[in-house]
Amino acid sequence: MTAATETDRALVDRVAKGDRAAVRLLFMRHHARVYRFVARQTGSEMMADDIANEVFLELWRQAPGFEGRSEVSTWLLGIARFKALSLLRKKKEDWIDDEAAAAVPDSADTPEVVTMKEDKAAALRRFVNALPEEHRVVIDLAYYHGQSVSEIGEVLDIPVATVKTRMFYARKKLGEALKAAGYDRGWP
Amino acid sequence: MSAAEKMSRRDEMETLLPFYLNGSLEGSDLEAVEEWLASDPAALAALGEAEAEFSGATAANEAIRPPADALSRFAKALDAEAGPARKPAGSSWLAQAWGRFMAVPVGVAWAAAAVLLALVMVQSFVEPGGKGNDFEIAGAQDDLAKMPFALVKFKPDAKMSDISAFLGSNGLKIIGGPTADGVFRLGIPAANAADYTKQIGLIAAQPFTETVIEGRKPADGG
Repeated sequence: MTAATETDRALVDRVAKGDRAAVRLLFMRHHARVYRFVARQTGSEMMADDIANEVFLELWRQAPGFEGRSEVSTWLLGIARFKALSLLRKKKEDWIDDEAAAAVPDSADTPEVVTMKEDKAAALRRFVNALPEEHRVVIDLAYYHGQSVSEIGEVLDIPVATVKTRMFYARKKLGEALKAAGYDRGWP
Repeated sequence: MSAAEKMSRRDEMETLLPFYLNGSLEGSDLEAVEEWLASDPAALAALGEAEAEFSGATAANEAIRPPADALSRFAKALDAEAGPARKPAGSSWLAQAWGRFMAVPVGVAWAAAAVLLALVMVQSFVEPGGKGNDFEIAGAQDDLAKMPFALVKFKPDAKMSDISAFLGSNGLKIIGGPTADGVFRLGIPAANAADYTKQIGLIAAQPFTETVIEGRKPADGG
């Protein structure tokens, strides 16, 4: 089996035996996604850089105990999430605000004014970025990271039903923001 | 189906669409979405909207560029964390010995190879109670102690395979060494002094032999 086709789990097995080349391969495969995941959560690329490095050092340390119950990518995102939360808590940043999560995304300009200058795709990108963190992370994990409902539950340490609820509200907010910007898509 | 129930089903399907698009949906959820897509005219438009969200989320993520030197910095951090490389698990002692042998200079490598050769030869030829190439060995330790021998030094560039083949074909055995300067004690299965002398001459004539010094000769030797 060549390195290019070697599965993530096989590489983790090699890491568990002390193979540094294997951990570097896993780094090359997953670093960008882990980095972006943390950057989106913390809003800081400097923090993302530190935490993403720490995630792969943790992979090196924990590989002998990896039981393969989840995909390696899910495992790494779970570690990244935990480390990002820990760091943010240390900094005493109240980054999860339930009231904010219930609100339609705000912007400096009204959606109408902004979207007059941009197309629907650009507007969507902007609205995704403006979602409250607890909704945006579910959108990111599903659309960008390709995670299933149960995998998102594992990464975020929340029940499957909560994942679905957050996805529902995330998409509802996007629909409302688009509608306010003149793009009525028929739902909600 | 009431309007409220219909809306509720629509909400549920809209919630599942991102997972339908990323290919992670399965079982009854997958069947429900597929049935909805096949039966509701609004469903395909909804799928198109979800695809637009997919593109938006992907673009928002990919706009973030990880540092170009991330891997090299991680490699340094890993070295600092891990210290000396762990020994690879699962390889045999012989493979590890061979690996070490391949890593040293030729002169030193030959001495190391000689040790390995001695181990292999003794293991295969003088296993207590076992059979040698051409004769049975009983009470090997005593027999080895009484066995006629010569002290031999091989040339540094000698090939292990040549020596092994020569020893094997003539019933010769390495029974000791090498010393610090590379001298081996070679067991010589000679029945008498004449046979012993003949074997010493044969060893001396080999291109890989540097020096041969006569040791204990057979009992009838002079």
